[in-house]
Amino acid sequence: MRAPSEAVRPVNDVAAPDDIVRRAQQGDVSAFEILYRTHAAAVFALCRRMAGNDRDARDLVQDVFVRAWERLRTFRGESSLLTWLHRLAVNVFLGDLRSASRHPTDELSDDIAGTTASDRIDNRLDLDAALARLPAGARTVFVLHDIHGYSHQEIAQMTGIAPGTARAQLWRARRALLHALEP
Amino acid sequence: MTRVRHLSEEERHGLAEGSLDDDGTRDAEAHLAVCASCAADVTRLRSLMRRIESAPPPTDDLDSLWPGIRSRIESGKVVLLQPASRTGNRRRGWMAAGLVAAATIVALAALELRQDRASGRGLATTAPASLSLASDSARLYRDEATRLLDEMELRRATLPPATRTAIDDDLRTIDDAIKELEGAIAHDPSNPALRQLLASSYRQKVDLLERIGNAG
Repeated sequence: MRAPSEAVRPVNDVAAPDDIVRRAQQGDVSAFEILYRTHAAAVFALCRRMAGNDRDARDLVQDVFVRAWERLRTFRGESSLLTWLHRLAVNVFLGDLRSASRHPTDELSDDIAGTTASDRIDNRLDLDAALARLPAGARTVFVLHDIHGYSHQEIAQMTGIAPGTARAQLWRARRALLHALEP
Repeated sequence: MTRVRHLSEEERHGLAEGSLDDDGTRDAEAHLAVCASCAADVTRLRSLMRRIESAPPPTDDLDSLWPGIRSRIESGKVVLLQPASRTGNRRRGWMAAGLVAAATIVALAALELRQDRASGRGLATTAPASLSLASDSARLYRDEATRLLDEMELRRATLPPATRTAIDDDLRTIDDAIKELEGAIAHDPSNPALRQLLASSYRQKVDLLERIGNAG
């Protein structure tokens, strides 16, 4: 049996030395900058696929790291720092959705409707375009599970939904992606 | 005649992603050998998995985001002072003294600015006006804080130990903020927001010292 989390996560999971985390927790901005530069790419990768476009993803990354600074003292090292940051990213993203300040799916739906097959340059663009058409809940679960390797239990903790719901959302997302990506 | 039981959705996804246990995998594989429909569906799901795994992560110029993040972090770091005394009248007196001190220093800054202009030393020739004003304010507050610190040292021995400890804690907090801001400015000397924050921190230090000076 292959555990998805073990197969996928190490790509992005760069451990930060404990002393850097500790310094940042004590208010050292330079140490926090090191944490930002270590993890920004992995946080952006999640944000980009959850948000569906670069502009919202960049806003999201900024919000996530400002929130991380504010809450870093609550990080106890029970998970990796990247997992903690990803959890924050999911919280911020879902919070934004709830407050309706961002509508990534709605905004992108129009863009994608006008996209022809010749516009799809490579696999990533195809995948990202198809992802952007998914409902936010299914997209978030899919990105967390299939791209970032989180378990359903972890996703349930991150999003506040039941593991069974996360599983159903994942299957739904995969089916929708198959439909969108297959010729 | 036995009716064929197709794989459930859970079994198909589990087989495709490799999360079924050994027994489940063996049973499902056995079914695929005799069911073209399920086999085709699992093949499609596996193809999707491979496609996902081979897709490179999205990237962007993330270095350009850091100054904005840092600025937002720094703007939230203004030290909130607690009054050294819980007595309402005294607190109001200290606040009034702080306001007078702040007004005096702003007036000094304005005076120096006018003198600079009169003498032909245009601030804008070397830096944005907001940057220079913030720098000048920080310098004036720092000088004033130094003077008040000297005065406080003379009176320090007459203060109760608990008061001395509280004062030292407050000053240390403010000094830490000042030190961090000076470090940030060293990295980003043209950031007016950082300089304004530095001036604000020095102003708080002056306010605190003024309160102490008026407390006796």
